[in-house]
Amino acid sequence: MHVRTTSLALSLLCAMGIATSAQAAGTLHFANWSDYYPPELLKKFEADTGIKATLDAYDSNETLLAKLKAGGGAYDVVVPSDSFIEIMVKEDLLQKFDKSKLTNLALLKDTFKTLSFDPGHDYSVPYLWGTTGYSYDTAKVPGGKLEESWKPFFEPDPELKGKVVALNSIEELFVPAAFYLGIDQCTEDPKAAQKIQDLLLKQKPSLAMYNSDGTIERMAAGEVTMHQQWNGAFHRAQAQRASLTYVYPKEGIRVFIDNFAIPKDATNVAEAHAFINWMMKPENIAAASNFAKYNNAIEGSDKFMDKELFDDPAINTPADKLDRLKPFELCSPKALALRAKVWTKLKK
Amino acid sequence: MNTRNPLWRFAGMRPAAWFFFVFLYLPIVVLVVLSFNGGQSATLWDGFSLKWYSVVANDAEVVRAAKNSLIVATLATLIATSLATLAALGMRGRAFRGQTLMSGVLGLPLLVPEIVTAVSTLMFFSFIGLKLSLFTILIAHVVFCIPFAYLPIRARLEGMNPYLLEAAADLYASPWKAFWKVTFPLLSPGIVSGAMLAFIISMDDFVITYFVAGAGATTLPVYIFSSIRMGISPKINAISSIILVISIAFVALSYYVGQRKR
Repeated sequence: MHVRTTSLALSLLCAMGIATSAQAAGTLHFANWSDYYPPELLKKFEADTGIKATLDAYDSNETLLAKLKAGGGAYDVVVPSDSFIEIMVKEDLLQKFDKSKLTNLALLKDTFKTLSFDPGHDYSVPYLWGTTGYSYDTAKVPGGKLEESWKPFFEPDPELKGKVVALNSIEELFVPAAFYLGIDQCTEDPKAAQKIQDLLLKQKPSLAMYNSDGTIERMAAGEVTMHQQWNGAFHRAQAQRASLTYVYPKEGIRVFIDNFAIPKDATNVAEAHAFINWMMKPENIAAASNFAKYNNAIEGSDKFMDKELFDDPAINTPADKLDRLKPFELCSPKALALRAKVWTKLKK
Repeated sequence: MNTRNPLWRFAGMRPAAWFFFVFLYLPIVVLVVLSFNGGQSATLWDGFSLKWYSVVANDAEVVRAAKNSLIVATLATLIATSLATLAALGMRGRAFRGQTLMSGVLGLPLLVPEIVTAVSTLMFFSFIGLKLSLFTILIAHVVFCIPFAYLPIRARLEGMNPYLLEAAADLYASPWKAFWKVTFPLLSPGIVSGAMLAFIISMDDFVITYFVAGAGATTLPVYIFSSIRMGISPKINAISSIILVISIAFVALSYYVGQRKR
């Protein structure tokens, strides 16, 4: 029996080795977060273009960066967030697009045509975008309605003590605090950073925890009354608890954009361009929006979006709140070092 | 529960044992129960439904991840256990030069932090030009499963009576026959527990697997971890319950086969 198992194992190994060495033309290796891309859409891509696609997963921008840096060049298209595009370009991990193959770039919405982290879309094309605001349960707050500002979050009502959760990330706390206090988010002034630190330390006793996982369940179950949340997570939580509402604070709310990018040593570059161009078609990007419950950046996708997604003001930002959206800014190392100091003090 | 064991003289032993088992197994029971959840959440119960099992059946990615995990774990277990048995047999007997060094090297994957092993393995594969795939995951898994398989086998071997081999030689058995007729049957409980440990460790691994995985080679832990951003849906509970049933079947089968041999 042992001889049969070893020969079986050996033949399986050989098969796998052969299968991997045979790279057929017309394949695409796509990597994304889990549950962030509809599997049916990938099948539609295969049907439309004949290119066979595989989808793999990674859990954070940081691990993706680490893998690309260490030489893991197995993917043709990846989806880093805006905060990592500049870092990856500097580390020479992404390749420039051949824009002649990306004809659908003209379909981008005006607000997304020029982005500070990649003006000209040489390295990235928006996939989905969202905002990081906060949500609360109208049935449980005093008065049933809170001011549309960061004030109720950073200086919560004493009644809500222990019922507020903040995200567990320095950017998600520092930047809104800077917006609220009217300070430049990339400040290099220690005194300004001190003001932000004082605000965050004052907020800390009212918080139940700092946690970025399970935000949907926490709000839907009614465990907490107020939660700093991404708008897509809010949409899913509100489907389970209708009394929740999302806030676009008037001082400013951060926008995050996840983008398609092609790693430097991708093997199927032509297929990668074909895929990204295909994804920029309104009906295809709308299918992704409907699945992940986040908004997209393509003009004309509105008519393909699910009505309940389109009607949700948290996802489809109303025109009067568009000026509150603030894009990502990569700060100098000195500013980032200040942020790290504030975070260390906060989490002590 | 052997009630003649002196431990039972301690008061509160029975409730402590019950608490221990409940603490370990209740979360697993909750996980399986919530896979039948009618709602969207993996933590809030909302009526009974089998829909998440059909979601799993239709989701090619999660099924492929589970298949990859099982293939890698099974092959890595077989290879690692065979190598670990050879290592244990080689390390026994009279001391040879470099034996302590060998011992240290065998146990190295247990000491070194996983992230260090992961990144260094990836850099090594890039250096020798080996393209990432399921095969590279298998190699990495075999490497870190060997010490887990080795330790129980080594322990079992130490407890074996050395005179039995001499007796076998005395009765005209060749070393090959002596191994299969004497050593192997006595070692088999150790080999089985080494294999089970290796299987568990391989199924469970995330860090090393993520870094050395090629395209199309996502395993289940990598898939589940990557769901954190978008939220865990009961689909994960469903696939975990399926894997649980498969693992229980596997263990039960090996136990049954072991009993039959007796």
